[in-house]
Amino acid sequence: MTVDTASLGSARKTGGPWRTVWKVVSSPRAARPAAYLAAFLGWMLLAALRPRVPTPWKVFEFLWIELTGGSHGGVLKGQWAHHVAITMERFGIGLVISFVIGLAVGVLIGSSRYAHALLNDTLMVFLALPAIIWAFITVIWFGLGNQAPVWTTVLTAFPFVSVNIVHGVQAITPDLRMMSHSFGVSSYRRLRHLILPAITGYVFAGLRFAVIVGWNGVLLAEWFGSADGVGWRTRYWYDAARYQGFVGWVLLFLVIIILIDRWILAPMERRAFRWRDVHRDKITIQERPEALGAA
Amino acid sequence: MVAAGWLGFLGFWALMTSIIGEVRLPSPISVGKEMWQIVSSGVFFGDFAASILKVLYGFLFSIVLGTGIGYLMGRSRYWKAFFQDPVMASGSIPGLTYAVMALVIFGIALWGPVLSVTLVSIPYIALNVAEGLEGVDTHLLQMSEVFRRKPRAVARHVLFPSMLPFVFAGVRLSFALAWKVEQLTEVFGSSKGVGFRIRESFQRFSVRGVLAWVLLFIIFMIIVERVVLVRLERRLFRWRTVGTEFS
Repeated sequence: MTVDTASLGSARKTGGPWRTVWKVVSSPRAARPAAYLAAFLGWMLLAALRPRVPTPWKVFEFLWIELTGGSHGGVLKGQWAHHVAITMERFGIGLVISFVIGLAVGVLIGSSRYAHALLNDTLMVFLALPAIIWAFITVIWFGLGNQAPVWTTVLTAFPFVSVNIVHGVQAITPDLRMMSHSFGVSSYRRLRHLILPAITGYVFAGLRFAVIVGWNGVLLAEWFGSADGVGWRTRYWYDAARYQGFVGWVLLFLVIIILIDRWILAPMERRAFRWRDVHRDKITIQERPEALGAA
Repeated sequence: MVAAGWLGFLGFWALMTSIIGEVRLPSPISVGKEMWQIVSSGVFFGDFAASILKVLYGFLFSIVLGTGIGYLMGRSRYWKAFFQDPVMASGSIPGLTYAVMALVIFGIALWGPVLSVTLVSIPYIALNVAEGLEGVDTHLLQMSEVFRRKPRAVARHVLFPSMLPFVFAGVRLSFALAWKVEQLTEVFGSSKGVGFRIRESFQRFSVRGVLAWVLLFIIFMIIVERVVLVRLERRLFRWRTVGTEFS
């Protein structure tokens, strides 16, 4: 408030049309576009200050050529679709495997006290290991090819699925569990109507982390041990010291992760929660700050 | 319980070694020997000091900037809307992006990793501070107004003490992530530090070296978190326990 009222005060003195202009510009609604504008100006400033940072124009020009399949001065033709498809295939397979492993490990640790005592710390170590370690180790194990990116995705993403499912299974109300037990509810119905609905929220939270973390993992593995894919392509332009290409691909892989989130994860989540109160707020990053980021 | 956990971990590791072979996954014992060699030869200290210094600088910058942004977000609707998207976006960007961006901007220098630590930690601190400010006791603010306290005094005695725990929570939350990104930036470009050593081990195709360095660093970071951060927290919030005695 302090900032707003102070600047409004100075605008009031000048009066006239400027006042209305200022009112529009300083309204919270205008803040979003202002943020994007500021980010853009910051980029231009950075490009002017650091010689290695490409200007936005150069990056957009590069992206145009790369996406329309033109030629970069005879260097290498843009084949973005090929690289994106390969990476998505590796990422998809890795995610499915990590989801299956993560679910199994999570249910095991969450429902058995012995498994929890023995394996929970191991899970914590897996959670603490940075993606780059898995990228390096899998590249040493499997060499160049598809295996290293797939397994890096699996090894970085499954602990996040597991941890969430452990929390979910442990959070099931013991009353309901005992009640279903005393009323002789079959184990299939218990799984279908008690356990699954109860952990759905946790499963989705886990899946979200897994997507963000796994995406980082697949790109790292491709960067260090692959001859194609998005990570490799990004590295290609970096090694060629053509930073507009590098920044262009970074923008592309950010767009991909945002689209996955909006078009695949969000609708899935909505579908899975049809049964629940529609007005109930979604889990936001503010409530679950550990959802942020992936190193 | 704790012993069972570690036993479980080492047992799992040894089992994996026996399944996929000592060459691919060195046993806990051989990695332990390597770790001991790194520590006893003294290589360890120079690289650790370099890495920790970068994490520390990064946190200092992010505390200053994050508190500032959080303050604006908590006090004004305009700035809240302004920073909403950038804070969310910077949270979901893969760590790889920070690492290589820092490298493009600063090259192989001290400031690359510092920048990535700063950028990674800012959203946590900012969000926490904003939340903390919204929860400031409005009675206290009204009272200070009634008693005509200067804005500086209000900031010093009301806002600052109530923000501090949230800054701290932000630091603790981002800690795990910050050191990972710092390592990653060092892997991509540096001439010193733990990340540099990990990269060097990778180039020698030594799984043992990679594991030894990363485990040493994880152990060290756990100690820092458990000992240093917890102590600091206790020290900074001594006034709270004093206060509760009166209530």
